[in-house]
Amino acid sequence: MALPVRYSFRNALVRWRSTLATVLGIALVVFVFVLLQSLAAGIEKSSGNTGDPRNILVVRKGATAESASLISRENFRQIQYFEEIARTERGEPIISADVLVLINLPRRNNGGEANVLLRGVTPRGMELRPQVTLVAGRWFTPGKREVVVSAKLARRFANFDLGESFKSGTAQLTVVGWLDGGGSAFDSECWLDADEARAIFERDMYSSFLIRPKDEVAGTNLIARIENDRRFKLKAEKEVEYYRKQTMTAAPIKWLGGFLAVMMSVGAVFAAMNTMYAAVGARTREIGTLRVLGFRRRAVVVALLIEGGFLAFLGGVLGCALAFYWNGYTTATLGFETFSEIVFQFRVTPLLVIEGLVFAVIVGVIGTLLPAVRASRLPVIVALKSV
Amino acid sequence: MTLTGFIAKNALRNKRRLSLSVTSVAVSLFLLVVLQVALRELTNPINDEGSSLRIIVRNKVSLAQPLPARQLQVLERIPGIAAITPFTFYGGLYKGDEKFTSFAQFAVDPARTLPLITDAKVPREQLEAWLADRTSCIVGKMTADRYGLKIGDRMQFTSQLYPADLEFKIVGIYEGTADDRNVFFHHKYLDESLGNPGTVGTWWVRAASIEEAPLVTARINQAFANSSAEVRAESERAFVLGFVSMWGNIQTLIGGISVVVVFALLLVTVSTMSMAIRERFRELAILKAIGFRRRELFAFILAESFGLAMLGGVLGVGGAYLLCNSLDIQKLSNGLFLLFEVTPRMVGFGFSVAALLGVLAAAAPMMTVARTSVVEGLKTLD
Repeated sequence: MALPVRYSFRNALVRWRSTLATVLGIALVVFVFVLLQSLAAGIEKSSGNTGDPRNILVVRKGATAESASLISRENFRQIQYFEEIARTERGEPIISADVLVLINLPRRNNGGEANVLLRGVTPRGMELRPQVTLVAGRWFTPGKREVVVSAKLARRFANFDLGESFKSGTAQLTVVGWLDGGGSAFDSECWLDADEARAIFERDMYSSFLIRPKDEVAGTNLIARIENDRRFKLKAEKEVEYYRKQTMTAAPIKWLGGFLAVMMSVGAVFAAMNTMYAAVGARTREIGTLRVLGFRRRAVVVALLIEGGFLAFLGGVLGCALAFYWNGYTTATLGFETFSEIVFQFRVTPLLVIEGLVFAVIVGVIGTLLPAVRASRLPVIVALKSV
Repeated sequence: MTLTGFIAKNALRNKRRLSLSVTSVAVSLFLLVVLQVALRELTNPINDEGSSLRIIVRNKVSLAQPLPARQLQVLERIPGIAAITPFTFYGGLYKGDEKFTSFAQFAVDPARTLPLITDAKVPREQLEAWLADRTSCIVGKMTADRYGLKIGDRMQFTSQLYPADLEFKIVGIYEGTADDRNVFFHHKYLDESLGNPGTVGTWWVRAASIEEAPLVTARINQAFANSSAEVRAESERAFVLGFVSMWGNIQTLIGGISVVVVFALLLVTVSTMSMAIRERFRELAILKAIGFRRRELFAFILAESFGLAMLGGVLGVGGAYLLCNSLDIQKLSNGLFLLFEVTPRMVGFGFSVAALLGVLAAAAPMMTVARTSVVEGLKTLD
């Protein structure tokens, strides 16, 4: 067994040009596959990494996102006194009624315009979201038309540097700080005072409530109570659950990744086949010799499959390495649920790497199968006679 | 034997390799064309005369911010406007759809809408029925076909944007517009179920003439400047292009992937061509020895490589063309893609890539042949 394998290895080196082309071809297929899937993984991860497991988020039933949700002030008055809600030392319920507004703003370098999610947040709401930290400047002062923008958005939008200002609606908003969401969905938001946001954008209604229940049991009860109360058409769920489900944007990217991988792998299989047929063709006599020496057909097939599989594996490793170069790179696109710019990072997860490698080996083995079988089927005498 | 015959014989002598190479070129070019088609579909909205004539007026803050209904009085006095209607995207989930409904529903003022959808073909009596019934709607033919809807059926929606779940009675089915998918219903019906908030999503305007359209846009923007609800008026086409800009980096990504595909393709073809030439090194040396010039040998190689790439091009580009024209892409992609059209320009692009490929793939073997002397070539055994 060892001899055919070592022989295969040396052979691959001799035919280095076509070997290299095959390896690179497979590497590119794996690269495209892993890259696109890592994009989808990044969206899911940023969304799945958002929220505090203790918090409960309430939005209007039927709304796909907080930004498309409207809740009346009456509902707020009714819900805030529910005894399931935890209270501060001063006896105030820990509930934050936020307002979300989409604002259309120009990108940097004349890159067109895009929607940005502006969250009108209460001091309580800031406490309930400890993931968000200030990385530059200071927090906004209510009533002064000040806003704190995500540092990641600041790199993409014009007038988002500290001290700069932009106009939206009737107000001129000044950027006084940059926030960091720690890789969560809050990285795609800008914050200002809730009451101020409602005044500027003429919102009578709220968008969502974020609630801290007394404990786990109270939380479950609260969800049931809000859902079952006929007065409300509201949906309550754990904050983390809500965000985990905000992954519609990832679906078409995943689909595209899968489609491209399948299509490109057809080309890669043919390329691998070509290389392996040539390799087998050029070694017909040597394969015959191996057979004369007593190696079985099976051994020949296995050796060739290992050769093909190993080459493909190398391609897979290279492809993953290429994709890994993008790991953590920040990019953004239009979020389907929020209808605003969502920022996320390419995430090459271990699972994706394994998938990519398995995929590569499958391509290699399929490509080698026919040439290998052909080689093993050659009658020994004919093989030996061939030049 | 003629020269052409010689080249063809040479190319065909390893039929398996030839077909594998041609297929891999074909698959890659197919992919390239399909990617181009998808990219165009996402970035280049439908452009007809109507879309430059029609104007969308939205709140300057963003599309999601409503406009006061009282703006209508001001708008009606602006010269150059031929028609105007409230135009509110309802964002409904059609009953049975889980997360995504592939067609849009718009609340409009039916009587005012007719001059805006002049290209829609609807029987007169259906239009009259629509005008008469407050809870009725008209549906595009594509949507009607997709869900098997007919006149008299009811459609139930849950709105993702408004706290109002509505049910419409279908009284008409239209076709002939650029996008025969949408549902149009009475704005009053939506207003009533929301408790008459006095707001609209956007205004839909038709300018009197193409020449006047840019002027009308400017006048509308001017009319509400420094008011409590400033607006952004733009042609329908510019409005759709605004969405494209929101896609952000995804465009660059697809462009980048196209480059990777072409590069992978190049690798495969180059390797195949070198393989094909290497195995007949000795013959090429013999040809050289019996007096064929280097130039002629180059021509052999180039012709074969070029022919191979072009054959792949015909199969790949042709396949993409046939597929895109024959498939019901709207159904397959769940309404994401509408046209999926292969333009002559993409065909040209595909073949240019194929041609370039043929030439580049020939370069490496040609160089080897040029560098090797006759004696060396004759000595080769491989």
